[in-house]
Amino acid sequence: MSLLEVKDLKKHFPIKSGILKRTTGYVYAVDGISFAVEKGETLGLVGESGCGKSTTGRSVLRLIAPTAGTIVFEDVDVMAASRSDMQTLRRDMQIIFQDPYASLNPRMRVRNIIGESLKIHNIGTEAERKKRVFELLETVGLSVEHAERYPHEFSGGQRQRIGIARALALNPKLIICDEPVSALDVSIRAQVINLLEDLQDEFDLTYMVIAHDLSVVKHISDRVAVMYLGKIVEISDSAVLYDFPQHPYTEALLSAVPIPDPTTERARRRIILEGDVPSPANPPKGCVFHPRCPRAQEICTTAMPTLSSTGGDAGQRHEVACYFPARFTDGVRTVPNQPFDGALARSDD
Amino acid sequence: MAEHHLLEVRDLSTHFFTHAGVVKAVNGVSFTLDRKETLGIVGESGSGKTVAALSLMRLVPDPPGKVVEGSLMLGTRDLRTLSDEEMRQVRGNDIAMIFQDPMTSLNPVVKVGKQIAEAITLHQDKSKGEAWKMAADLLARVGIPDAPARVNQYPFEFSGGMRQRAMIAMAISCNPDILIADEPTTALDVTIQAQIIEVIEEMQQRYESGVILITHDLGVVAEIADKVMVMYGGRTVEYGGIDEIFYNPHHPYTWGLLGSLPRLDEVEKTRLTPIKGQPPDLITLAAGCPFAARCTYVRAECRDRWPALEIVGPEHGLNCWIPREERLQLRGGLAHFREHVA
Repeated sequence: MSLLEVKDLKKHFPIKSGILKRTTGYVYAVDGISFAVEKGETLGLVGESGCGKSTTGRSVLRLIAPTAGTIVFEDVDVMAASRSDMQTLRRDMQIIFQDPYASLNPRMRVRNIIGESLKIHNIGTEAERKKRVFELLETVGLSVEHAERYPHEFSGGQRQRIGIARALALNPKLIICDEPVSALDVSIRAQVINLLEDLQDEFDLTYMVIAHDLSVVKHISDRVAVMYLGKIVEISDSAVLYDFPQHPYTEALLSAVPIPDPTTERARRRIILEGDVPSPANPPKGCVFHPRCPRAQEICTTAMPTLSSTGGDAGQRHEVACYFPARFTDGVRTVPNQPFDGALARSDD
Repeated sequence: MAEHHLLEVRDLSTHFFTHAGVVKAVNGVSFTLDRKETLGIVGESGSGKTVAALSLMRLVPDPPGKVVEGSLMLGTRDLRTLSDEEMRQVRGNDIAMIFQDPMTSLNPVVKVGKQIAEAITLHQDKSKGEAWKMAADLLARVGIPDAPARVNQYPFEFSGGMRQRAMIAMAISCNPDILIADEPTTALDVTIQAQIIEVIEEMQQRYESGVILITHDLGVVAEIADKVMVMYGGRTVEYGGIDEIFYNPHHPYTWGLLGSLPRLDEVEKTRLTPIKGQPPDLITLAAGCPFAARCTYVRAECRDRWPALEIVGPEHGLNCWIPREERLQLRGGLAHFREHVA
C-alpha cells in the first residue's frame, strides 16, 4: 500500500483572452501522469522549466485544483475531500518552497511563522506551542533566541531552515520539497540537503522532491521521475536511471549536467538537443519529445507512448515512455529499430 | 620587450563606501589571462567575483563603489588611467561582457537586430544597412535558426536560451580579445546550458579570445576552464590550473566547496560534507582571513592577519596560515578526497 498514489493527474490552465475573457485554449501543464510514493522513500521529480513538476506538487496538495485524475493519500481520496477534510489531510502533507525570501511573511516573527499551523489546528496550549516551536528551531539547527526575530534578519540558508521547521510543525507524513535548495549557495545547499536527510531518518518522513538539478535529485532520491512537457517520460530507481537511461530525453539531460571533475568532463560526450522545449499550450502531437528527438520515426508522431518496463538489466521498476527505448541486457546497450511493444499498449482507452 | 599577458590584474581592490561602513568587495586580487585561455572565477554570493569583473569594465557604480588600488593592464595600457572616452572604446572592442540574466539585459522595446547593430555602428565604421546584415549573420553564427527573420523580433519573442545567444552575438560583434561571462548559464535549464557553453567555446576557438567565466558551478568550471581562481569574502584564497584545483587543492575553503557537491556520477551514496556556518558579512569582516569564521582548522593568527601568498606549484598558489605539511595531512583525512588525491 503506497502512501500516495496518483493516477492520470491532469492540470490544464485555461488561457483567457479578449474583453469577455473567453477561454481560447489551455496550457497543458500536467497531462495525465501516474505515480506512487511509498512510505519512507524519496521520490524525485526532475525536468526543465515548464515541464509541470511544480504544478504536480501543488496539485497533490490541492493548492491548485487538478483538472482530472485521482489522488489517494493513505486510502483517502484527496480529490473528493471537503474543505474540512482537506484541512485535516494537510496536517499530514506539507510543503517546503523554493524561495526562502518570498515564502516567509516578512512581518511575522519566526515564532509565529512556525507556530501558525499549530494554532490553526488548535494544537496544545499557548505554552505548549511555544515549547514546540523552540524544539523545532533546534531540530533544524537554529537556536531558541531566533524565535523573536523577523525573516529579514536571516541568511538564505537559515530562512530555508525556518521553512523546514514550519513544514515539520504538525508532524506530517509527506513533505513536498519544491526546489528546496536551488536558491542557496553551494556550501549552504549541502547543509540543507544533509538536514533533510537527517530529518527523514529521525521522523520517518516521506519526501517528494521537485528540482531541476539532477545531481541534487539523484543524491537525495530513492526513485526519480523525469518529466517533459507535462508527461512522465521515465521513472526508475535513481542509481539505475543514471547507469541505464532508456529515454533519449533522459540521456540528453544526464549528459548535459556538468560533473565537477575535469578528467571525467574531458572524456564525456555531450548530447546537445536542438532547439527549445515547445510551448505546453501547444504540445506536439504524438510523443511530446519527438520534434527534438534523435530517434524519432513515423510512429512517434501518432500517439504518446505508454509508460512501461522493458525488463532486462533495468528491471521491472524502471519504466519508460518511448517507442525506441535503449535496452540493456547483460550490460550491453542496444536501441532496437522495431517499436517497443510495451509503448504501444494504449492506457487511455 | 617583455611579453605581455592579454590581461594582467595586480592587487585590485574595489570598495563600496556605504552608510553602514566600507564594504571591501574585492580586496587585493591578482590574475592574468592569455589568448585562448579560460579563467574560471569561482565563489559564492558576496565573494566579490562579479565586482572584480565590473571593475575591469570600469562599470562599478561610483559612488558608492571605487577601485581604490591596483593596476589593470590590458596589454600595455592600464585601464585605470584611460579617459572615459577611451574606456568606451575598450568596452566592446577589447573586452565584452555577458550577464547572468538574459531577460533583463536586453532592452524589451527595441528589436533584437537593432540592439546588436547598435553595438556594431558604435564601434565600427559601418553603415546601418551593413550593421543590420552583420547582426543577422552573428545571430546565425551563435546558432539561432532563421536569423534573418529573428533580427526583426523583440526580446519577448525569444526564449531564455535564445536571448543569451543574442547577448553573446552582441558581445562578439566587435571581435573582442576578452569575453567576460558572468554566470552566463545560471538562469537556464541544463540542456540549454549545454548549448550556450558550446557556443562560448566555439566563439573562443574562432576568435582566439581569452574568456573569464564567473560562476558558482564547479561543474561548468571543470568543463571549460583552463585555470581557476577561488574567491571568498573579496579575497582570492587559492588559484591554480584546473587539475591542480580539483585534484590537489590546498585551501580548506576549496576542500569545503568540493565536498559540498552532490555528484551525478557518485556510485554509492555518500554523505555531503558541508561548510559550517553562514556566508560572511562584508562590512564586519575582520582583518584576518575572511574564511576564518567558518574554517574547521582555524588558528589564532587566521583572525588577525591575512597570510602571505604561498606558491605550491607552477601557477598554483594560495593564502593560508596552515603550514603545508600539516595541510596535506589534514586533507588526507578528508573522506571526499581519498579517491582523487595521490
